[in-house]
Amino acid sequence: MTIAVRAESITKTFNGTQKALDQVNLSVNHGEVLVVMGPSGSGKSTLIRTFNGLEAIDAGQLEIVGIPLDTDQDERQIRRIRRRVGMVFQQFNLFPHLSILDNITLAPIRVKKVSKANAEQRAHGLLAQMGIADQAMKYPAELSGGQQQRVAIARALAMDPELMLFDEPTSALDPERVKEVLDAMRRLAADGMTMIVVTHELGFAREVADRVLFMDAGRVVELTDSTTFFTQAKEERSRRFLNQMAH
Amino acid sequence: MSGSRPAYRKRLLQARRHPLQTVLSLVILALIAWIVWSTAAWLVVGADWSVVTENLPLFAVGSYPEHERWRPLLWLFLLCLMTATTLLQPLISRPWRIHGLALSWAWLAMLPIGLLLLAGGAGLPMVSSRDWGGLTLTVLLTGFSGLLALPLGILLALGRRSNLTLPRHLCRLYIDGLRAVPLIAVLFFGQLLLPLFLPVEIEINRVLRAVVAFALFAAAYVAEDVRGGLQAIPGTQREAAAALGLGPWQIQRLVILPQALRVAVPALTNQAIGLLQNTSLMAILGLVELLGISRSLLANPAYIGRHLETYIWLAGLYWLVCTAMALMARQLERQGKSSATEAIPS
Ligand SMILES: Nc1ncnc2c1ncn2[C@@H]1O[C@H](COP(=O)(O)OP(=O)(O)OP(=O)(O)O)[C@@H](O)[C@H]1O
Ligand SMILES: [Mg+2]
Repeated sequence: MTIAVRAESITKTFNGTQKALDQVNLSVNHGEVLVVMGPSGSGKSTLIRTFNGLEAIDAGQLEIVGIPLDTDQDERQIRRIRRRVGMVFQQFNLFPHLSILDNITLAPIRVKKVSKANAEQRAHGLLAQMGIADQAMKYPAELSGGQQQRVAIARALAMDPELMLFDEPTSALDPERVKEVLDAMRRLAADGMTMIVVTHELGFAREVADRVLFMDAGRVVELTDSTTFFTQAKEERSRRFLNQMAH
Repeated sequence: MSGSRPAYRKRLLQARRHPLQTVLSLVILALIAWIVWSTAAWLVVGADWSVVTENLPLFAVGSYPEHERWRPLLWLFLLCLMTATTLLQPLISRPWRIHGLALSWAWLAMLPIGLLLLAGGAGLPMVSSRDWGGLTLTVLLTGFSGLLALPLGILLALGRRSNLTLPRHLCRLYIDGLRAVPLIAVLFFGQLLLPLFLPVEIEINRVLRAVVAFALFAAAYVAEDVRGGLQAIPGTQREAAAALGLGPWQIQRLVILPQALRVAVPALTNQAIGLLQNTSLMAILGLVELLGISRSLLANPAYIGRHLETYIWLAGLYWLVCTAMALMARQLERQGKSSATEAIPS
């Protein structure tokens, strides 16, 4: 089994003092689903943002889908990684001036140089897979949050990524819209996609995650398979967090 | 609403009770009536519109050779046609509507077409730019300087936000520098001083010099408007585009700028209208655009003292062109809105 993410004691400091990541070690295999949890400000977003070069690490070693990502960021290296790693944001971040179809085909056409016809065919397929086949010609502002987030997933999938990063993909959604997005992610996991998901959806984590990474203050508190994490977490800090989440 | 009415009535009653206020109101009313009456009387009886009616071709095309006049006139006609087509778009039902992009390209094509018609070439006899004038020249100056100023302004705005220190400072210097200089000074430099610096053999066309001066000046203001638009686009848009593997220039061109320009449309419209009105400054420097032609007409003994008629006519013309521009810009704004920001619940 090949390795999708290999992080060795990576560290990230903001403003000279704020340690967002502190000696984090992690290795994620292809086909694996990893859920990242932890209190607010614990460094979850920072961690996955280093995986596609949106944040540069200060120290340590990072290798994403086989490509090393050094502390001094090489723009071309980062772009090679980004072509193969998809990201879904909490706030969807669709391009408001482009139709749904154009949102999805933009990167395949411009980055991968796929023909417009092929890109659009694939986009329609992805929209159908996400259950929003009839929305292709609309604009993002005309869609509900849940629909927008599924478009965002389709947009990332259109690049045929080997690894998908999700940063709290359901946190900005109305409770009744959460399920449709989680269902889409479940299907994705079932298809064997390698996924790293920052989320506080315990049900999803219990059901879909292979392993859970629990962070606090930029450090890895616990990294175990999900059944162990939810039934007999080793660390006091994780158990307290789970208790809080359950209430 | 209902509460304000008694208050209004009360104030009115109080005013009636005050004799001085009553007298004042009456005086002001009389004054207004007198102004309206005398203006109307002047317009109908006193005014002599011959200065306008006898010189319509001059106002339209200046001293363009008579047997070639159809060329600028054809261009003006095409522009009117384009304006009407553009403004009527919302009333036309969908299958017959012209695509916005096609319309933009048609507008863009109007400029080279105008230049070809006016200057000649491709079978048409050449006409020196010395003979261009009137509304045609006003529109040509505005169009070409606007066309140059927009990309230059965009580049300056991007440069000003760049991470590279030197370009950032240069752009900033340029923008602040030109905004600190009055336009007339830039125009003087272009028309009178620039030729002194250049070797005698190089004789740059006067119209071209004016266009370049206007464009360089307007670009500084366009840059600030575009910068305002750029600031309105959240950084998350850049992140989302970068995460997809798009390069820095692709991100600017495909994601950031289209949105920023849409935000900047109202401000840019202001600039375009200002540019049109500022072309009248060229009259001082000897170009016979709309104001220039009017001044030369007023210098003609036959029309002595016909200032008021001429300038009212001129004001009307400027008003017409500016209104057309403003209406088209509003349409552009609405289009951008309906496609991007206005949520239509599904
Ligand atoms: N761009 C930034 N500049 C300065 N500090 C930052 C920046 N981004 C994150 N931080 C800091 O780094 C720490 C980790 O932030 P991060 O966003 O990764 O936390 P998180 O676990 O994702 O929190 P949340 O659950 O609230 O999203 C926080 O203390 C935060 O204040
Ligand atoms: Mg976060």
